[in-house]
Amino acid sequence: MAILPEPLEKLMLAFERLPGIGPKTASRLAFYMLRAPAEVSADLAEALKDIKISTALCKVCFNITAAGRDLCDICAAPERDNGLVCVVEEPMDVLALERTAGFAGRYHVLHGALSPIEGIGPDNLRIAELEDRVKEGRIREIIVATNPSMEGDATALYLRQRLETYPVHLTRLARGLPVGGDLEYADQSTLLRALAGRQDL
Amino acid sequence: MQILSLSLSNYRIFKRLEMDFPQRLTLLVGNNAQGKTSILEAIHFLSIFTSPLASSDREAINLLALKEEIPVGRIVGGIQKAGKKHTLEIRLILNPAQNGSGRLRKEVLIDGVKKKLFDAVGFFNSVLFLPQMTRILEDGPEERRKYIDQLLSQAYPGYVRALSDYQAALSRRNALLKLLFDKGGDEGQLAYWDEMIATNGATIIEARIKSISDFEEYFREQFRRLTGSREEIRLDYQPSYNGENQANRQLELGINQSASNPFGYAEIRENFLARLKTLRREEIRRGVTTIGPHRDEIRFFSNDIDLGVFGSRGQIRTAVMALKIAETQWLKDKSGELPVLLLDETLAELDELRRADLLNSLGLDEQAILTTTDLKLFSPDFAKTCQVWQVAEGRVEKSNSG
Ligand SMILES: Nc1ncnc2c1ncn2[C@@H]1O[C@H](COP(=O)(O)OP(=O)(O)OP(=O)(O)O)[C@@H](O)[C@H]1O
Ligand SMILES: [Mg+2]
Ligand SMILES: [Zn+2]
Repeated sequence: MAILPEPLEKLMLAFERLPGIGPKTASRLAFYMLRAPAEVSADLAEALKDIKISTALCKVCFNITAAGRDLCDICAAPERDNGLVCVVEEPMDVLALERTAGFAGRYHVLHGALSPIEGIGPDNLRIAELEDRVKEGRIREIIVATNPSMEGDATALYLRQRLETYPVHLTRLARGLPVGGDLEYADQSTLLRALAGRQDL
Repeated sequence: MQILSLSLSNYRIFKRLEMDFPQRLTLLVGNNAQGKTSILEAIHFLSIFTSPLASSDREAINLLALKEEIPVGRIVGGIQKAGKKHTLEIRLILNPAQNGSGRLRKEVLIDGVKKKLFDAVGFFNSVLFLPQMTRILEDGPEERRKYIDQLLSQAYPGYVRALSDYQAALSRRNALLKLLFDKGGDEGQLAYWDEMIATNGATIIEARIKSISDFEEYFREQFRRLTGSREEIRLDYQPSYNGENQANRQLELGINQSASNPFGYAEIRENFLARLKTLRREEIRRGVTTIGPHRDEIRFFSNDIDLGVFGSRGQIRTAVMALKIAETQWLKDKSGELPVLLLDETLAELDELRRADLLNSLGLDEQAILTTTDLKLFSPDFAKTCQVWQVAEGRVEKSNSG
């Protein structure tokens, strides 16, 4: 008993697959697109199509960058400190930390955390690539800024084991971050405090 | 400790409910399926921050409310404690999620201020007695662990948090063990989860070892009293891992008899961690964590007969009643105040003698809330001392007792 025409149904389902969007919001968005001027949906469609083909991962830190470029803006910036690397779970976390303007080092994006329940092990993350960067010997300190969740903590402890043999100083963002919370949602002053009060790992 | 008032919204059958309670006895009277048990459930929820009945707390949210964009069930208790009045509020918030099932979030507020769940548990103490609690003795070990956990969570700050972290870590550790067996990978990943299991497990084991033998004294005394000293009851705590250093022993999945043992938290933790290391190969092969509080057992023996196996209906009922009265006394000695007693239908289940005994054992000080389908089960003299509330179709109405 399809009440709605198929294209509308299809759009709703597509919205519903997005994180944080339930069926109600999905249908509201779909109806909005239906009523809005044609350029609104055309712009969105184009942006969506572009996002996959015109982005790539930075070859050094695995942050998101424009397609065709090897390095992201942060890795390309000559004035930043090569000896200090902040390890985060997601590209969104880089954004959050950059907004504080309190960090002048480089980043490394793992693209997730160790999660036995989701079957994610070290090989599914950019951990070997981090080890390679450390092997080069230019990094003095690594700040592990994984989320303050069990998975984030497990990842931090595992990184310590993996990097134990290298002459690099490992620190972990200070608590004060809401436990179980995500880095990307922490406010700036909390993040700044956490950065300043990072602890040995 | 007293509950002065209760207000519910979108909780079980109740769209809204407002009621107040006198200092001593309240009787909830109504036909079947009208909401009596749900009221006791809500009050006990204020003590343990989870439903003592539902397999998942979301079941307690009113079904009609689930159609709202963000369904919220709410329990607000007016509490009197150490001479002071407080409000204790629990919100059950069902956040919408992609797949339609949604995630339940619980919020706790004391006097309007949001508290961490783990910090607020134990603020209000109550003892709940349901007819189906004979299951504690009759069913599998997980029923007994649940019982002990609910009891200890009211008495030990930190217990609930340790339990919740332990369970979260356990499911992840088991998943990792399976993953390592199926796909291989770096066993170093286990270090963090071993640490979590040992740290939280040690808190749980220590609390159980210490308190079960303490609580047993109270329980024995009540059981003796109820049986006219004809029967001696024994609580046999059988920890799957008791904190001993078993490094040199053969793996024993079974059970250690020594419940009274002198190990403290730090020792238990160290030994537990060492034990997990020794078991690592075996556990990867089996894909589960083979020792720890999640495998503990507690058996009930009357005159050396295992009641879980050989107990008669009457013996088991007496044991549960003794447990409940013992809980009341024990919590009082732990917290300095008598908990509120919540008795669901229990009087109907008891014979004349036991009923009189239970009513007599309600001292003059404590507050008790009882439910019944039939007011006639109570003597008019007793009923006169109670405030009677009629419960019908999710509505309540005060009525004077006859
Ligand atoms: N989440 C819910 N939403 C709406 N109604 C519910 C919900 N959970 C239970 N109910 C209803 O509440 C009623 C059960 O309430 P309760 O168990 O408190 O009754 P009772 O008065 O104790 O009955 P009895 O005398 O049979 O034990 C049932 O009619 C049940 O369908
Ligand atoms: Mg009932
Ligand atoms: Zn980069």
